[in-house]
Amino acid sequence: MGEILAGLAVGFANALQPLNLLMIVSGLVIGIVAGALPGITMLNAIVLVLPFTYFMGIVPALLLMIGVYCGGVFGGSITGILFNIPGDPMNVPTTWEGYRLNRKGETRYALGLAIMSSAFGGLVSALFLAFLAPPFAKFALTFSTVEFFSIVVFGLASVSVLGQHSMAAALISLCAGMFIGTIGTEAQYGVERFTFGVPFLRTGVDFVTVLIGLFAIGEVLDQVAGTAEPAPENPDARAVPRLPLLELWPLRWPLVRGTLVGIGVGGLAGAGATVSSFVSYGLEKQLSKEPELFGTGHAGGLVASESSVNGSTGGAMIHLLTLGIPGSAATAVMMGAFLVHGIQPGPLLFTKQPEQVYTNFAGMILVNVLMIALGFLAAMSFATLMKVPAPILNTFIVVLCFLGAFALRNDLADVWLTMLFGVLGFYMRRWALPIPPLIMGVILGPLAEGYFLTSMVAEANDLTVFVRRPVSAVVLAMSVGLVAWAMVKSARARRLAPAEPAG
Amino acid sequence: MTVLRRAAAPLAGVAAGVVLLLASRGLGDVAAPGQLSPAFWPRLVLAGLALACLVKAVQEARASAVRAAVGPPPLARGRLTAAIAAVVLYVLATPWLGFPLANTLFIAGFMVLCGARGPVVVGLNAVGGTVALLYVFVKLVYLPLPKGAGLFEDLTIGLLRALRIF
Repeated sequence: MGEILAGLAVGFANALQPLNLLMIVSGLVIGIVAGALPGITMLNAIVLVLPFTYFMGIVPALLLMIGVYCGGVFGGSITGILFNIPGDPMNVPTTWEGYRLNRKGETRYALGLAIMSSAFGGLVSALFLAFLAPPFAKFALTFSTVEFFSIVVFGLASVSVLGQHSMAAALISLCAGMFIGTIGTEAQYGVERFTFGVPFLRTGVDFVTVLIGLFAIGEVLDQVAGTAEPAPENPDARAVPRLPLLELWPLRWPLVRGTLVGIGVGGLAGAGATVSSFVSYGLEKQLSKEPELFGTGHAGGLVASESSVNGSTGGAMIHLLTLGIPGSAATAVMMGAFLVHGIQPGPLLFTKQPEQVYTNFAGMILVNVLMIALGFLAAMSFATLMKVPAPILNTFIVVLCFLGAFALRNDLADVWLTMLFGVLGFYMRRWALPIPPLIMGVILGPLAEGYFLTSMVAEANDLTVFVRRPVSAVVLAMSVGLVAWAMVKSARARRLAPAEPAG
Repeated sequence: MTVLRRAAAPLAGVAAGVVLLLASRGLGDVAAPGQLSPAFWPRLVLAGLALACLVKAVQEARASAVRAAVGPPPLARGRLTAAIAAVVLYVLATPWLGFPLANTLFIAGFMVLCGARGPVVVGLNAVGGTVALLYVFVKLVYLPLPKGAGLFEDLTIGLLRALRIF
């Protein structure tokens, strides 16, 4: 313990050097802005700053990237809450609750909650990284594709909870999303599936086109057609986010659970922030005393997903620093930065260059503290856009969706897909088909397929492996319980409610 | 709404699931002996889709008269059709007219469609917005936005040069 505290003291002394602090702030700003723009993901931003780090020392280079990483995972929540456009798939659950809070006139509260829970999750995960990284990494390495499959299934099972008014409608949406996820060239045999000879479908349907089409374009069409919810009555009061410090106390359990799920799932190589945000949201809804309020602007759902997104950042760094194995695409790029500077991350880093390791830990802690101030400023800047009249705002949302979709592959085909999903999103809302399950199917479906097929190849098609391994068995049992509970709720709701709103 | 009308959409989902299941024939041919084929997962998903649609169709058919009477909210059909048409035209026209011109026309048209009336506001947003987007996405992010065809390509290049973007 004393050694760790001494190491952290040296790390803070390094990270607080003016140049290093400047890199942290710059990284945070770049990350938040990039994360907030649809089509430009946190990963894009990390890749874009990588060439600039060639000319820096390793410490400022890594602090810059850590800033972009942590800022990027938070940034997408701002536009999700304000405009129903999540910057990244990991921000989707935050959008479900945050945008509803916004429509109720609680924009400042929603933004404040997002900032505070994001910073809390990130801070706790950075401290976890500093104190418990080596033993956790050892435990996480015992997980195989069997456990990953079960975790993804749990994420998908939470869909049944999301669509609680009609299980059938939620399953239609989920299966449609999972089907969209199978379009393109299959990874194991290289076979084209459901491309029907259309060349651009060979590489599959990018989930970003689905995401921004269903959410943003669908919402604009809703507004134009006059079927959207009315805007809140007090728009002038919404520009400055509120930092709800005291109001976080009643939400302490969702906050803690979200953070722990973030660290746990983020710490599994290959799982990452997106899976953790969905799992955390689903778990929170299952544990909540008022699950029926999820999807209508529930603060607990927002806090759980947001804290888990940033909570996953520390978890994802564990493998990189302790074992030299990148746990996610973002940490893989960071590993590139290490290697460019001639440093091999891994167990030896702790003994050979402890100063470097603890500077990274200190950097992550500082990033999450600074995020409160910078997130506040960024949210304030984006929130002023809410004052823009609806005709201008709606028009520019369509244009930004066009650019975001085009930027994926510099191909207008992606723009066509986005617009198509926009129209689909409009009609799904109209016909009470929940949208979140479709999104989850597109994002988690291919992951589930990959883990399942790999497990089957490794275990000679023996399905019992999923219940023979204890962690997998427990997670699968939780999924089954979740579905059974949701089915009972759905049957009860159908008997009582005359009709249900769309997700 | 009649029972048939209510159940029509889920039944269409059942039909789509079955058609796609049939389209997955041949996908399984490449599988190595003893291995799951590339058709396994999509077939599982499509069977789930068809089954869920069937359940939904039955639920809709059995729905009470009170519940069935609650249809979707009324919509401004004309404005919705015009908005979808404007978006389609925007994407269609961009490769021909180039992004700057197509975008300027789209912003102006869509703003009017959404209820903006002042010609100065519409014009400023259309022109100013397009120029700002060109600076951000072409000059800073290096996004190769469509320049158009023939005469319009020359026009776009001339504009980008005049703005010192190119």
